[in-house]
Amino acid sequence: MSALVGSILVGARTERCPDLDSDGYSQNHGRTPHGRTPHPSRRVQHLGGHPVTSQSDQERSEAFDRYVVPELGVLYRVALTLTREPHEAEDLVQDTVIKAFRAMHQFDGAHPRAWLMTILRNTHINRNRRRRPGLLRDPEALDALVDQRSTQGVSAEETVLEGRFEAVVEAALQRLSSDHLRVILLVDVDGLTYQEAADVLAVPRGTVMSRLHRARARIRADLKTSGVTANVRGAQ
Amino acid sequence: MKLRNRSMSCRKVAKVLQGYLDGEVDGLTHDAVTAHLEMCRDCGLEADTYQAIKSALSVTGGRMVPVDPHVIERLRAFAAQVRDDDADSSAH
Repeated sequence: MSALVGSILVGARTERCPDLDSDGYSQNHGRTPHGRTPHPSRRVQHLGGHPVTSQSDQERSEAFDRYVVPELGVLYRVALTLTREPHEAEDLVQDTVIKAFRAMHQFDGAHPRAWLMTILRNTHINRNRRRRPGLLRDPEALDALVDQRSTQGVSAEETVLEGRFEAVVEAALQRLSSDHLRVILLVDVDGLTYQEAADVLAVPRGTVMSRLHRARARIRADLKTSGVTANVRGAQ
Repeated sequence: MKLRNRSMSCRKVAKVLQGYLDGEVDGLTHDAVTAHLEMCRDCGLEADTYQAIKSALSVTGGRMVPVDPHVIERLRAFAAQVRDDDADSSAH
């Protein structure tokens, strides 16, 4: 990763997740907050083939509270976007939480959300593979979402209250392809950065950008066709 | 009216506008785009429109993926259990 992209991501995350830095901890503080070495009597656990010797249980719990717990809401949102089924999404997040706790010693303290998204994605893929061998993704879930969209239109009353602009945007959203819709949901609804969305979808960051930009341009074009303008400066 | 800012043209602004609105550009680019949008009416309108689209998407998209707040509470309790169970097992 280039230094430029790195600085972009760091900057974006600082804006998106102020809670991660608001407690005054420096980036690696959660790893060894008191500079302690693990107690010699601690059992050595073997997780993923790597013995845990550099992080005490207390440090692991502290890191877990600092990096994982604040992300539970976002994890669940993304899990819902991926699975479209509340119970399935909750199970998926639970599995992700367990794996994150076990892998806490491997986390370097940078970009916790991106790290968690990768765990979530891999867990999602593995769960699907177990249930439906041969399927790496879950196209059925997305098909269900596409079907569901047509029955979830806003009511006439809502349209009046919230304005025609939003109604046109919603109609345009329902016409997007599955790929475009998913990126919109991850970034504009779940609040992920481009890189985090890329981690979830296992595609390059550039792919997220191009899908997102194309999807919004399509919505913009629909607005133009409908003759609807946003309530913005100079456009009233 | 097309305006050529000393540091950024309308064309360049159009290229980075989405990233700008998503908070995905570096500080220098952010400042250059902000300065341009304040000076250029066409680009300013475009930025406002896309910002309005983003806002509308977060509302309408949120309706498609409703979140039950009780689930988040359950997940917090679950996470605490995972953490504390491990602490208990280590203590024995």
